[in-house]
Amino acid sequence: MSRSPLLRKALPALVASVLGGTAFGASAATISRLTPPSELFASGNAAPVIARFLPGQQFDLQATVQPDVGETIKEFVFYVDGQAVRDREGNRTSIVTEAGPAETCVGADGKTTGKSGCTLVAGLPANTAVVSLRAFSKGAPGVHELKVVAWQNNGERITATGNFEIVGIGEGNGQVAKNIIILLGDGMGAAHRTAGRIMAKGYAQGKAKGQLAMDTFPYTGMVMTASLNSIVTDSAPGMQNYVTGNKANNNEEGVFPDDTLDAFDNPRVEYLSEYLHNLQGKSLGVVTTADVFDATPASMAIHTSARGNGTGIVDQFLDDRHLTGLSVLMGGGRKWFLPNPSNSTSPQPANGSQRRKTNDYVLPADIVAGWGASPGKLDPERDLIADFQAAGFAYAPDKSGLDEAFKFGAPKQLLGLFAYSNMNVAYDKIAGRRGDRTVVDAFGFPDQPMLDEMTDAALKVLSKNPKGFVAMIEGASIDKQAHLMDSDRWPLEVIEFDRAVAVAKAFAQKNPDTLVLVTADHECSGAAIIGASMKTAAELEANPKLGKDAVAVYEAAKFPKYRIAEDGYPISTNVDHKMLIGYGANADRYETWLPSLFPTKDTQQPFPPAQSPANPNARNEGVGALITGQVAGDQAVHTGTDIPLSAYGRGASQFTGVFDNTDVMFKIGRAAVAGERQNSQQ
Amino acid sequence: MPSFACRLPILAGLFLMAALPAQAGTSVTQAPKAPSALAVTKPLGTPPAGVTELKFRDLFKLPVGPKGLEPTDKLLGLDGKRVRLVGYMVQQEPPVPGHFMLSPLPVVAGDADDAWADDIPASAIFVKLPKSPDLVVPPMAGLIQLTGTLHVGLRDIPAAGRVAPAVLELDVAPERVLLRHAKSVAKAASKAR
Ligand SMILES: [Zn+2]
Repeated sequence: MSRSPLLRKALPALVASVLGGTAFGASAATISRLTPPSELFASGNAAPVIARFLPGQQFDLQATVQPDVGETIKEFVFYVDGQAVRDREGNRTSIVTEAGPAETCVGADGKTTGKSGCTLVAGLPANTAVVSLRAFSKGAPGVHELKVVAWQNNGERITATGNFEIVGIGEGNGQVAKNIIILLGDGMGAAHRTAGRIMAKGYAQGKAKGQLAMDTFPYTGMVMTASLNSIVTDSAPGMQNYVTGNKANNNEEGVFPDDTLDAFDNPRVEYLSEYLHNLQGKSLGVVTTADVFDATPASMAIHTSARGNGTGIVDQFLDDRHLTGLSVLMGGGRKWFLPNPSNSTSPQPANGSQRRKTNDYVLPADIVAGWGASPGKLDPERDLIADFQAAGFAYAPDKSGLDEAFKFGAPKQLLGLFAYSNMNVAYDKIAGRRGDRTVVDAFGFPDQPMLDEMTDAALKVLSKNPKGFVAMIEGASIDKQAHLMDSDRWPLEVIEFDRAVAVAKAFAQKNPDTLVLVTADHECSGAAIIGASMKTAAELEANPKLGKDAVAVYEAAKFPKYRIAEDGYPISTNVDHKMLIGYGANADRYETWLPSLFPTKDTQQPFPPAQSPANPNARNEGVGALITGQVAGDQAVHTGTDIPLSAYGRGASQFTGVFDNTDVMFKIGRAAVAGERQNSQQ
Repeated sequence: MPSFACRLPILAGLFLMAALPAQAGTSVTQAPKAPSALAVTKPLGTPPAGVTELKFRDLFKLPVGPKGLEPTDKLLGLDGKRVRLVGYMVQQEPPVPGHFMLSPLPVVAGDADDAWADDIPASAIFVKLPKSPDLVVPPMAGLIQLTGTLHVGLRDIPAAGRVAPAVLELDVAPERVLLRHAKSVAKAASKAR
């Protein structure tokens, strides 16, 4: 096996001297991690199979090898079903060892320290080697054995065995889904959907007076949302599990965990977008109401183990569009796109850029060679908007600019950056459109589009590709406002999101070769519709400390009534006998059951108005009733509850029953490549 | 998702403490109160002669244009002039000797590795203590008023790893107050030990 240029000469004399002659373990060479992850490796059990891939879907093979004391790893080979996996070009492999200064990176105990500037995470023997073979793929369906053999300098072999599965697409009816639209209501559990329906449609004598667009989808299933390392996921694995077919650790997207500190060198797994761009030439569209670097949008296209690396994430969106087919990117997050030549000696006006080298990316050579990825560059000075424009993207800074971009028909590619960080929420955007611009003016972006308008624009651009597209459209602040337990703001996020669902459904009605999925990545806040206010809005305002004494339960709750304005949103959420929400995953908060004039400060929003309450724990402090939470911190958290998924269009019938979030990848793959199974309920 | 705060309880906790304005009363406040000469507890009168009142919201043009933030004519016109600014001291970890940041909102700035999406408002400016380049100003809770000479333009403070749209070089009087404050905090800390 050829040696990669990455092979780093580690273990200078120091390690030998630290280890020499002492009793650091009884020379038990071992492999402490084998990727892709498997129970066969972790526990010796062949089932369940953890890692599964579509035929030909690429992923990296990696092992963390801890040689005997005083030894180093000089060579390794991966075997799949007993056959050696060759690196024919000789540039897809690497052996990474601790390359940082030994005095910093190796502790007195002979273990790595994981300090800044070092290579490996803390707690490994100093001579540990992380060996990789990049961009492997296999076509034959079935469970395959993965074995790694590593050779020490002294010729000793160290081996470990795991498994993975290639999920066959099988025979289909040939009626494939050309277009895939995933509408992702971040944090949207069953309660969020119900609350949106109660508010938007109303009930009479127990019957809903109307359905949400997502309620009209013919197939609904329940999704298990766990991540690789927890029953409670965050949004990175929550999304990426759907579109890689594999479990990721929390905070990680498009990668498996590893033992190096570099957040951009993790073993990769190919995304749905990359797979279908490579196989069929599809385009990718990513639309969100969040900052576009946020976990959900990034988990469609970006490979990193640190979801916070904004500069590198937005750079990769553009740099690797030849891999993903990225043609539409819309949301907030303009701060990551503005040049920040911070080493400039001549003073110049600050533009508010947040670009920094510390969260930018540069890829190791074996990933560049294996995946054909752009190498990346630490370039805070980059003008990424200009680079998008140079690459042929039309740029829309606001709703008027979005309309402008379509003046002569749909542009070929579209970048929309409508806010500095997360966009304003529907509650405040709608208030602005109705004439109360207090909040949107304070944020500095009074002309932001609604999600249905962004969706319509995205689909117009994406549908220009005759080979089809993959689109992810996210209602991001259902989650963010549920974290903040703002019971007036998140229901409007659900309504805004559902209006985007209606746009996608209309598109699928016109284009029957389209599959539309509506789901969430996880539930957020343990939201529950606990009843309604037994008080009028005026009474609540007069007695904001009522707390539980205001809550009408069971039949006393009756049917809260909201009036819907022409624009599709409630005239007011502050109605008499309003719907009341409780939270099962809450932190302490002060509850008045009244709307908050300004949105609660969002930690990702660097340009918030001074009037925003710092957090739910300070909001209405001294005014509302204290509701003691069950979790620490000052926000509600995600829960491990299953969430609903509804499907419409080509291939939709596969999405029933209870299934794992990773199953979605294989169902989509089948719909996109083979079409629905014949005579099958599956 | 998310708010990073929900997965960073420690940072979030710090933030909370810093975030509580002085009037929060019974709440926990980690940072000691600002010296009374600087603390702002009620609306201020007009600034002294030769000093212009500058508000954070006057720093950048609103609404934000198609690209980045742009300074207002008012800000540009105040380059080299004496101004008064009211804001919150940013609790920066690690602190930067001879400097601190003043922000329109109470915030805590972690070190670079923690600073994912930045919490610090873009309009935050640097405050420079011209006579005390080594002084680490201890954290102060609540709103404070500062006067000094404004230097407009993107300023790079390498020790802080940050840039800011302007630097306020403190007048002698507030710098003296801060020196005394630092001494009294240090004294209280050594007594506590
Ligand atoms: Zn979340």
